[in-house]
Amino acid sequence: MELISLIATLMVATFIGFNVLYIVLGKFDKLSFSEAVFISFALGLGTISLEMLIFYLLGLTFSVPVILIPWTILVTINVYRHMKYGDGFTFSERSTIPKEKNRALSIFLTCGITLEVAYAFFRALIKPIEAYDAVAIYAIKSKIFFLAKAIPQNYFPGLVHGFPHPDYPLNIPLSETFLYLAMRNLNDQLVKLIFPLFFVGILCILYFAIRRFASRAYALLFTFLLASIPMFNAYAANAYQELPLAFYYFASAIFLFAWIKEKKDLHILGLSAVLVALAGWTKNEGMLYCVINASIVLFVSVLARKDTSWKVTIAPVMYVFIIALILAPWIWVKQRFGIVNDEINLFNLNPVYLFKQLYKMGPILYEFQKQLFGPKKWILLWPIAIYAAIFHSRKIFAPEQRYISISLILAFCGYVLFYMVSYVDVVFFTSKTWGRFMLHFLPLVVLWLAHMLKEDIKI
Amino acid sequence: MWYKDKIHRHCEGRRPEAILKILFIVWVVLWIGFLARELFVKNNIRDYKNLLTRTLEGKHSYVTGDRLYDFLTYCKTTMPENSAYNIIGMDEGALESRKAVYYLYPNVKTADPDFIIDISQYTIKRVEE
Repeated sequence: MELISLIATLMVATFIGFNVLYIVLGKFDKLSFSEAVFISFALGLGTISLEMLIFYLLGLTFSVPVILIPWTILVTINVYRHMKYGDGFTFSERSTIPKEKNRALSIFLTCGITLEVAYAFFRALIKPIEAYDAVAIYAIKSKIFFLAKAIPQNYFPGLVHGFPHPDYPLNIPLSETFLYLAMRNLNDQLVKLIFPLFFVGILCILYFAIRRFASRAYALLFTFLLASIPMFNAYAANAYQELPLAFYYFASAIFLFAWIKEKKDLHILGLSAVLVALAGWTKNEGMLYCVINASIVLFVSVLARKDTSWKVTIAPVMYVFIIALILAPWIWVKQRFGIVNDEINLFNLNPVYLFKQLYKMGPILYEFQKQLFGPKKWILLWPIAIYAAIFHSRKIFAPEQRYISISLILAFCGYVLFYMVSYVDVVFFTSKTWGRFMLHFLPLVVLWLAHMLKEDIKI
Repeated sequence: MWYKDKIHRHCEGRRPEAILKILFIVWVVLWIGFLARELFVKNNIRDYKNLLTRTLEGKHSYVTGDRLYDFLTYCKTTMPENSAYNIIGMDEGALESRKAVYYLYPNVKTADPDFIIDISQYTIKRVEE
């Protein structure tokens, strides 16, 4: 019964996300149906959890009907819009690139991906939440919210300080709370279903992103590579926030690159802004990706300054405005109650302080190379990436993957800066987090590889 | 660039596709190897087998350790709801301590407790006024 309630609620959340997607995009001609479903799922959870934070600001308590009622307005607007203009619901046509030359390989890769997906669901659902951060930071918060049927009014002023990392965003804890409410039980085993769904969502988006420029077998090959990375699969099952964050960032980057290609459709850019803002609402590291994406939009607009179109001029302002609007309630709550990060102080981002921290570069790079050459976690992904970077160095900044490369370089530099300004012992911090940080941009690395090796692999 | 010339000379005559093919085969071998290692060498398959037949409560007990979970359940029934407690006998940052905080909520861990829970000795004591 609880499983049925959970699945029904996830479908409702996806439907709400679909309506958010429709209001932002207006049409779906650039998305396949499966992409739309997974983006709707992530948008649904992200916007519902934001709504629950606003409930706290309004002093309201949680119940599934009360949470869903406000969304009927959006659904009504969309129904009216669809009836009046008759647009939407036409998904992108199938890729014109031939299906495959190598049928046996495609079958093998499909079986491999299916096995990994099935294993991720099995591993997630066989046990309740038990991993360290998942219990200590996130599950405890969702338990507090579920038992109180609200974010208690004494939560931010006092209660939150009794648990580690009070400043961590609440997207996933509130999403878990919403699902507990739907199941009417604190079933911390079934609630883990959302994590492998993010895993499948990333694979789906990666597959279609590659399918737009390569054959089916080629897209399957890179989807398989990503799915089979042990570290990536493990984090699909342990209720950590790495894969939800990776999903929001990866999807936002895909739409950002789609906008950069033509610089016409502000709806696509708007969707990218919404998704990256939800990355910021999922983990603090998401703020880094908000800055990276916004910087790229600004950079592209400045480069295209000869283009006098207002759509290019307004793009950076719109992008930052959407991110600020979505994150405003959370930032306000943190400011209001003086909730700060106890590991990193961004006021330390000044040249004098950074110069004094240069000694940290050794441990940071040492741990990074340990990750690069550790096959137990990543198989051969990083050696292949190094191979691609060396043999195709001219392609790194070629038009098709220029902004992917820039995003990856900025993400790497961003994490190095995190370590530099952190108070935590650098050896301990890097050994615990580098691998997890690398998961955030891992899907983008695989997409980058697919671009770089396009001419080397003829399948 | 000197290093590129060197690498190109070294790989002369070998098509990049052939190198990538070899890498893919190695990838698949490692993938199967790590999957098997996780299931059989790390013995996760034993955990999965034990977990399959358990209820949600039983699974909580299994992942926490049966003895600790029974003790925490006992603590929860002993303390009146919304009591304050403190944990001794274990580092605050230890996973067991974090799990105790999770399972014992809505009882809250504070520095001014009504109960002292000694996780290492499996004892709970009311604090005298």
